[in-house]
Amino acid sequence: MAPPSQPVRNTRQRVVESAVLVGCALAFLAACLLVRWPEAGPKKLSAEGLGIFVAAGLTLIIYSFLYRDNPLFKLAENLYVGVSLGYGAVMTWYLSLKPEVVDPLVFAPSRAALLDALAHRTVPILMGILLLTRLSRQHGWLSRYAYTIMVGWGAGIGIPIVVHSYILKQLGPSVRPLGGGFWDVAGGLAILVGTVTVLFYFFFSVEHKGPGRAVSRVGIWFLMLAFGASFGYTVMARVSLLIGRVHFLIGDWLGLRP
Amino acid sequence: MSTPEADLRRAAIARRVVYLLLAVAIVATTLVPTEMKVVPSPLSRKVYDRLEAMPAGSPILFSFDYDPSSKEELYPMSLALLRHAFRRGLRPIVMTHWLNGVGLCKELVERTAKEAGKESGQDFVFLAYKPGGSNLLLNMGESLKGAFDKDFYGKPTEGMPALKGVGSLRDIPVVVGIAAGGTTEMLIAYGRDRFGFDLGAGCTAVIAPDLYPFLQSDQLFGLLGGLRGAADYETLIGRPDTGVKGMPAQSVAHILIIALVAGANVYVFLIRRPRRKEA
Amino acid sequence: MLYKRAIPLIIVFVMGLLAFVHEFVPHPLSAAFREEMTTWFRIIGGFGMFIGLYSLLHMHATRIRRKQLGWGYSLFVFLGALGMIVLGLVNEPHGPLGSAPEDGTVFDWFYMNVQVPCGATIFSLLAFFMASAAFRTFRARNLDAALLLGAAVIVMFGRIPLSAMISDVFPQAADVLLEYPNLAAKRGILLGISLGAISQSLRILFGIERSYLGGGSE
Repeated sequence: MAPPSQPVRNTRQRVVESAVLVGCALAFLAACLLVRWPEAGPKKLSAEGLGIFVAAGLTLIIYSFLYRDNPLFKLAENLYVGVSLGYGAVMTWYLSLKPEVVDPLVFAPSRAALLDALAHRTVPILMGILLLTRLSRQHGWLSRYAYTIMVGWGAGIGIPIVVHSYILKQLGPSVRPLGGGFWDVAGGLAILVGTVTVLFYFFFSVEHKGPGRAVSRVGIWFLMLAFGASFGYTVMARVSLLIGRVHFLIGDWLGLRP
Repeated sequence: MSTPEADLRRAAIARRVVYLLLAVAIVATTLVPTEMKVVPSPLSRKVYDRLEAMPAGSPILFSFDYDPSSKEELYPMSLALLRHAFRRGLRPIVMTHWLNGVGLCKELVERTAKEAGKESGQDFVFLAYKPGGSNLLLNMGESLKGAFDKDFYGKPTEGMPALKGVGSLRDIPVVVGIAAGGTTEMLIAYGRDRFGFDLGAGCTAVIAPDLYPFLQSDQLFGLLGGLRGAADYETLIGRPDTGVKGMPAQSVAHILIIALVAGANVYVFLIRRPRRKEA
Repeated sequence: MLYKRAIPLIIVFVMGLLAFVHEFVPHPLSAAFREEMTTWFRIIGGFGMFIGLYSLLHMHATRIRRKQLGWGYSLFVFLGALGMIVLGLVNEPHGPLGSAPEDGTVFDWFYMNVQVPCGATIFSLLAFFMASAAFRTFRARNLDAALLLGAAVIVMFGRIPLSAMISDVFPQAADVLLEYPNLAAKRGILLGISLGAISQSLRILFGIERSYLGGGSE
């Protein structure tokens, strides 16, 4: 994550910032010990309680990025990357590789089950191993056999599905008969005009001049309204994420919210 | 005359003042207990009505497709949906297409099942995750037990009471997908349009506007958008929780941002520009 | 060379043709073929994870080996990754050949108290950046920007419960904005993207688009 542009700091600023950092760390420890620990007692600090302290500490360290990029933030960021990676690898083992590869072949319940597994799983397992050769410069071409099967299948099956679900099913409602009351007709017309003008705007093979320019302008207005709506919702999304973290810090960590 | 150094310092101060204002607004609203009446939107109500209309014992598939980065928005609505499903006596079949979301999904299912006194394998099944995305959906559409021969806890799905009468996606009347990415579109194209179930959606507020075309084409029967969607659903099931409690802070934050943007525009167009023209 | 380029391209075409054609063939063999293929991809997909794992660890290992700027932080990537892998595979009492780690394990503890809070918090930083960016750059300089700003304000205000307490007009205005101009524009974009996706799929099937083949010796 690139830090926002920052003015150069002098020695006095560095000393002040270091003192503030130490102060914040002491305040954090004090908050943990004085607010939560008295309830549980030193001998009763559970894994859950310790987990809340660790989670709160990491949360505050990550928020320190708002002031300035710093070593603690980078540490937390890299630890998060490593933990996520490790979690993904372990879950892939237990939920994918073990039940699909190891259990059917190594722990098959019967001979018939083993033969069935060999018949249906040998080729995909070989393809999976070939996939890993992508990491080799010399033998990377072997991975093409696995990729081409997946890509070819995905491209082929995607064409009828996209045509059906994203084109035909979307065109139908756009060209509904303009019946009903005044507002129904107005709404239907707005959707039809908007869809056509937006599609025309994105058609860059034809120069947008004369009547085409007017159509394109209307398309841009619809796009601006849509992007404005998306921006408003995006603000809502990001603020919701922040509210959740604040609720955790105030409620779960400090226990201040009812 | 301003120097680049002074400009940088001014920008840094302005930025931090905005951060501080936003933080203070949300913290203050959180600390002060405030009740705010939530009027559920028609789209949230449609999701609620559809689950409410399902007979007890009906299977329902929940696909909770998110990871920790969207947890604060999507976990509250997922919680409300599962609580509703258990209260209605439905048979939730829970899965996720996101590998890093398995732990959240597991915690959610176990928490709501414990609250409702439900047993895994009997009243619900947690299938967790398999790779494949759209191919997994196609697989599930032919044979659910073929795609998931065991649940997360290692119990065979064959003969499981929670999956009685469910051979494939064609036997599931309603699916609800909670998405942080493009899985709703995938569920529509590779699931709903092929196998005929009714599909409801919940999603982060970022992608909610993108799903409106599918609502009009009846490819989705309802939509829960962001934390507001969670608040709507909690109100409808009569169990206010994180969603409803977050609405005062959400309101204050939105008003603050609107005020900042409006104020900046007023300053630039009505005060600073005329001054520069005069100069 | 034949087996490095030509044969893979033939495989793409044949697989794509089979995938396309089987959609229109109601014969049980066609359904069996689809089930077999989707099973294959479920298995192959599991191996794909390890490409990402190796790539990321290799990148950080290179950074450590060359003592590049910030190499010390890369040690924490290894610490996190290897720590989770060891904890996950130890998996008491089931072991690596049992069921997945359950609630109450150290593995699960690290997931809930390190990965979940870090992931949630990193993305919540965007709220601050968004507020700051909107304050500093969101200006109604012309009609297009004014439309965008106006729409954003209508949705931001209309979607909060406070607006409904003042008047029903505000949430209704947000609904109208989303159900008409927003819907129309998003539908136009969806149609455009879909047409582009079909075009790209055809380019892949006919071997015009070959970037998925990767580098290699040819």
